[in-house]
Amino acid sequence: MARLIRTEKEVEGRFETVWIVVEEDPLEQWPAGPRDVVGRPAARKDAAERVRGEARFTADIRLPGMLHTAVLRSPHAHARANKIDLAPALALPGVRGALGPGEVMGFEAEAGYAGAPVAAVAADTFGQAHAALAAIAVEWEQLEAVLDPEEAVERKLFAADPVHYERGDFERALAEADVVVEGTYRTSVVVHNSMETHQSVCEWVGDTLTVYTSTQYVWGVRDEVAEALAIPADKVRVVCEYMGGGFGSKNSAGEFTFAAAELARRTGRPVRCALTRREENTAAGNRNATIQKLTVGARSDGTIVALGGEYVLALGWGGWSTQTEGPLKMLYACDNVRTDRYAVKLNMPPMKAFRAPGFVEGTFGLECLIDELAVQLDIDPLELRRMNYAGSNDGTPFSSKNLMDCYELAEKHWERRHEVRARSDATWKRGVGMASQVWFGGGGPPSYAWVRVGSDGRAQVVTAMQDIGTGTRTAMAQIAAEELGLPLDRVEVSLGDTSRGPYATLSAGSSTTPSMGPAVRAAAADARRQIIEIAAQRHELEERVINVQHGLAISSDGNLAQPIEELLENVQILGKGARGPNPTGMSVLTFGVQVAEVAVDVETGEVRVERVAAVHDVGRIINTLGAQSQVEGGVIQGIGHTLSEVRLLDPETGRTLTTSLDAYRMPTIADVPEIVCEFVDKPDEHLTNLGSKGLGEPPIIPIAAAIANAIRDATGADVHELPISREEMLRALEAAQRKEPRGAPAAV
Amino acid sequence: MELLRPSSVDELDGGVFVHGGTEVVPLMRDGLLAARTLVDIRDVVPSGVRGRTIGAGTTLAELEADGTIPDALREACRLAASPQLRSMSSLGGNLLQSTRCWYWRLQYPCRLHGGDRCHAREGEHREHAIFANDFCASAHPSDPAAALLALGTRVRTNLRELDLGDLYQLPTQKRREIVTLERGELILELELPAVEASVYLKAMDRQRWAFPQVGVAAAKAGGETRIALAGVAPIPWLLGSLEDATPLPRTAWKVDVAQALVRRALAQLG
Repeated sequence: MARLIRTEKEVEGRFETVWIVVEEDPLEQWPAGPRDVVGRPAARKDAAERVRGEARFTADIRLPGMLHTAVLRSPHAHARANKIDLAPALALPGVRGALGPGEVMGFEAEAGYAGAPVAAVAADTFGQAHAALAAIAVEWEQLEAVLDPEEAVERKLFAADPVHYERGDFERALAEADVVVEGTYRTSVVVHNSMETHQSVCEWVGDTLTVYTSTQYVWGVRDEVAEALAIPADKVRVVCEYMGGGFGSKNSAGEFTFAAAELARRTGRPVRCALTRREENTAAGNRNATIQKLTVGARSDGTIVALGGEYVLALGWGGWSTQTEGPLKMLYACDNVRTDRYAVKLNMPPMKAFRAPGFVEGTFGLECLIDELAVQLDIDPLELRRMNYAGSNDGTPFSSKNLMDCYELAEKHWERRHEVRARSDATWKRGVGMASQVWFGGGGPPSYAWVRVGSDGRAQVVTAMQDIGTGTRTAMAQIAAEELGLPLDRVEVSLGDTSRGPYATLSAGSSTTPSMGPAVRAAAADARRQIIEIAAQRHELEERVINVQHGLAISSDGNLAQPIEELLENVQILGKGARGPNPTGMSVLTFGVQVAEVAVDVETGEVRVERVAAVHDVGRIINTLGAQSQVEGGVIQGIGHTLSEVRLLDPETGRTLTTSLDAYRMPTIADVPEIVCEFVDKPDEHLTNLGSKGLGEPPIIPIAAAIANAIRDATGADVHELPISREEMLRALEAAQRKEPRGAPAAV
Repeated sequence: MELLRPSSVDELDGGVFVHGGTEVVPLMRDGLLAARTLVDIRDVVPSGVRGRTIGAGTTLAELEADGTIPDALREACRLAASPQLRSMSSLGGNLLQSTRCWYWRLQYPCRLHGGDRCHAREGEHREHAIFANDFCASAHPSDPAAALLALGTRVRTNLRELDLGDLYQLPTQKRREIVTLERGELILELELPAVEASVYLKAMDRQRWAFPQVGVAAAKAGGETRIALAGVAPIPWLLGSLEDATPLPRTAWKVDVAQALVRRALAQLG
């Protein structure tokens, strides 16, 4: 029987209360360890389609008569379009429609950043649409632009209310500490730069709108588009079969979708609106810059007694105030903590969620600070972390926490530091650094799945989730195959279409697997139960003696071993499943530690990451191969943020300068070090019928600090700013030379 | 727009020359180069290495794999761009490429575009010039150009012969172009003098597909060593002394990097 309950839901550290429908009779978790299919390596179900170019991405959608859209964007960091004349553009060849400020959501007369969308033109070709933009006459009134975050704090130009947090007595604890370390850390703006730029194709058939879009949340786009166009949500169908990356930047519909939908309505033609790579680097979201003034106080025995942080988040014209102090509050046992967070609104491109928003930035500051403390205390950094292990999340028990196991697994990598350092020479200094990680990733309800088992003995998982490239399609197939007792190649997953399957989760906050997996397993269990019921009736056996395994209905006495396609004949089975609630009164978190080995050319400031060992605790691993791929992706993206990527603006005009991929430098394969990946792989016994947490975000969190700490180990230089360019590296090296010698780095 | 495919130098008559297209096509797409007529010169420009003569149509990919050319040029080609780009781009085209200065690329009305100020000087210039940066702080992006300059290369065009150094001039109030070729002039071949040893070292902010932060080419011939730098001035820079550098506030680090690389290059030459 369906049961309605009220429960708490978390995405990227933001909590809300939701009503959900859950099934009775929750399933027992499988025992820990690899099963027939789950917990083993599985190649992507869609690998062949992808490599053959058959996988259909939004960028591949070409509908008959489809128009192309170009977007007019503000050249000014802050200005108002007092008058705008679209008529000359509409008169040009091939132009079929245009819209201006206020005509659709996201296109505003007040442009808050250089690149803000103001008007859009749809034409037969993109070239025609683009050419027509020049014909639009805009009368701009320039307004004051604020580009300096510190000035914005002074003037209280907050994007959100400042957040103050306090536990214990920070001041007193600091005064009583034997050692105090302070540091100011800065992180820069980085851009997602997904391989597939933000884009949508919209087509009306009658009063129903189909939106093909590159998104992390087909259901969210459905609701947003319905609201933007003032039509019922069930008149909007959203399709995203394959998706070329989002990393948080595609959690919502975006104005390009609204423009395509509205222009399609006006012209009666399908309309495509796709950002160019240059627009993608300008107006598709970013990880905001931060300034972090951090303080730690400790007793000489290594006990951390006080932690403080003042955070400035330079948000741009949009975005939200992320919990950047989260790691400082959560990673270590410390009774006295005080933090203040100021998110300021600047005339810069808007921030959007980016793979562990806030925690990537906050962990860089915190974990560098902890290492600097270790140097001051002359305590091994790994030992210092163990000594201050947090037993609860500010009083709330963890549903599971195996960070200590991570530390143990990391020991052998940490031990390499003697040998690594010994490979230093006059110019190349080598060292090893580590950093820990805490993050959310428990997922939550609601999410639903169906599992259809046909007379061909094959199963189809049907759910309107999306696979944003992380391989969840494969993980869901593994879960269903495991529960159904079918080989993996007899399970398909159909997803990415709101009209073909039940509601499913947003793919953000490392939540897809922990949210969807339990629903898929529940649906598969429901189907399995029905198969057993049918077998029992056909063969006049008791249900409890029948099992389904390797595609066979099997009785415990061995007399029955019938292929299920034979058993079912022309029967169709439909199992239904829902995601249950998360455990109440518990903190569901992910943990990990990474150990980085670097080489620093002390003359030219070049930093090379030579090896990264990543050890993570995310509950049960579904696909060991897919999980490794997630870790590698996170580490590589994090190396980019640490060493070479930075979005630059012209300080005078506020315009983005790094608009192409030769100026915005992501790592190439030649920049990728050896990445060793290990998992604790212990199911969280309190979390759902799977015990699995998410892995999308954890691997990117500790890498920057691990690299910075390795640099300190190698050279004695304290790096305080991302990216660690040659300029920053040479500055830090010079500062280290001027500093009083403080003995050997990181005691053994 | 029309595309012409002449088969000899004699047929050339105006238009914008295109070889691999790795520079011309992006420039046109970004509105930095307008062309009514594109002239595909692949059948006009010699290609391949004959002794110390290199056809300007030889691709960087061919050169990076050629054991007969001086080390500095081979290494400069190997460290340039990406494998895909090197397979397409010609040596001649590489020498004529435009700066990566973001202000110029984004069409700020800077001095190279005929304007009256250098936006980089007061703006974002962490990758810009440390020499001759008073009028324009752009940095020349060609690795092979620095190598060829150090090697003392002669250039043969359809109109004349000149030193590689004379192919470039610093931009001035009167003449904003950095390349001295006349309209319709085309680089055909490069003539390398004999050298005893040469080397090219490059600092970049990732291992592949990055323009030089600082590129250092050094060549030894007849007891004389010539050093040329990429990425430090609006044109390929024949080095006198790094003491004479005039870095901007955010380019001082480049002087340190150049010093280290010059020292290493000289050490490698022995």
